[in-house]
Amino acid sequence: MTSRGTPSRFLQSVLQNGVGRYVCQLKRISLIFSKNGQSSLGAREFIEEGVVDFAIKNPGTVVYVSPQSCRIPKIVAEYLNGNVKEEAITSKTSQQIAELITKLTNQSGLDIIRIRKPIHTDSPSIQGQWHPFTNRPPSIGPIGPQKQQANERLCETS
Amino acid sequence: MASGYIVSRGVLTLGIHYQHFCRNVLLTQTREKKRWMKAYTLLMERKLKIEGPPLPKPRAQKPNWDYHAEVQAFSSRLKESFSPELLKTAFVNPCYIQSEQERRQALGVDTETAALVLRDNIQLHTQGLEFTKSFMSDWCRDSFPSLPSKGVVAIVGHLISHPVVCHVARNLAIEDLTMSAQFPVPDEVLHSTFLAVIGALQKSSGAERAGLFIRDFLVTQLVGKDLFEMWSVVNPMGLLVEELSKRNVALPEPRLTRSAGAGTVLPLYFVGLYSDKKLLAEAPGETVLAAEEEAARVALRKLYGYTENRRPFDFSAAEQPRASVLQSISSS
Repeated sequence: MTSRGTPSRFLQSVLQNGVGRYVCQLKRISLIFSKNGQSSLGAREFIEEGVVDFAIKNPGTVVYVSPQSCRIPKIVAEYLNGNVKEEAITSKTSQQIAELITKLTNQSGLDIIRIRKPIHTDSPSIQGQWHPFTNRPPSIGPIGPQKQQANERLCETS
Repeated sequence: MASGYIVSRGVLTLGIHYQHFCRNVLLTQTREKKRWMKAYTLLMERKLKIEGPPLPKPRAQKPNWDYHAEVQAFSSRLKESFSPELLKTAFVNPCYIQSEQERRQALGVDTETAALVLRDNIQLHTQGLEFTKSFMSDWCRDSFPSLPSKGVVAIVGHLISHPVVCHVARNLAIEDLTMSAQFPVPDEVLHSTFLAVIGALQKSSGAERAGLFIRDFLVTQLVGKDLFEMWSVVNPMGLLVEELSKRNVALPEPRLTRSAGAGTVLPLYFVGLYSDKKLLAEAPGETVLAAEEEAARVALRKLYGYTENRRPFDFSAAEQPRASVLQSISSS
């Protein structure tokens, strides 16, 4: 589909994050895996080695680990703005899962859709937005090209 | 779909897989085409259309929830050290205590054996509200020294208003932690919980940290806002005349500076306000009166220093907020 058919948004941040202090936007991460399935092997390895370090490094994120009998191990990430992101980690290695979790931690919870402009500013103009009357002498009457009076004077004197 | 029932001896047992759910319930799964699936899905869709979508459930009633861990994470996420009891008290609202007591009475639980030992957040809320109002008024006066008290009151009133505070509270996950009687949490309850959290922060870490918290989360909501969006001034020209006479400057005279399309559907007039033959402000409008009013507003914005191209607020300093603001004013 073209960009007109798919959703898009402007570049923004949640609650002006970063202007004051930076708040990690990931509030909760739940690892759902199976104790015996072969697709959860990577998940089990990650839980053995890496999850405690991750939880210590990110004290602002609550980590839930729930073993259930499921075919597809999942990571459910909840963000401060209410968005919930589910990622399947079937047959991923522990390293890949660690990278995925770092990626989820660094995201704000905003939708991953086309961003219309890579920039945003709250003060777009410092000297004043240009409009057709800028740098024109004030005049009331029909608008036309400015008369070049200086050139005429030069021609007369020379 | 797995269905649980006791399998009778007459049913063909080929192709059926058994799974013990518990000792008395046997789940069966068959691989054949499930002819009942279409009827079932259509029925559920019809039910959804009649009854509407299911009611939202509070996060505490969904799986994976540990209140103590969530409260700890809340305080470390904001990089503040709250005292845990104060913070937990700040989240308890009086409506919740009432509904809990009614529920316990309805269930027949003796109030002596299982007493509800929860304090509500009314005191913390009043403290937080007072502190927030005073801090924000001081901050406004420091950042905009020429803004009159009516303007300061308007800005503070806007920042403490329900829409702004509830927007901030929802995006800081305070709604998850709030204990209230209804869900979704009503705006007033959320508003009072947020102010109670500020009160708890003030009591735990002191006025300085609470001030930085208010600056980083409430005052940042001023970014991108115009003065007269928050402060509704009915007669800007009258206010401008007052301000100029206070400063002993000549009264403004409006003059038509430029015009275009006077006889058309979209005329444009630029009116400039001159005081003692020096231009104060110029602004466009569809009629001459509208342009004059807009010019008065632009002049007021220039006088109060609340223009779009002003020096941005200083949020970087982690020292005393007043000291940093004074530094930025003296250096600009």
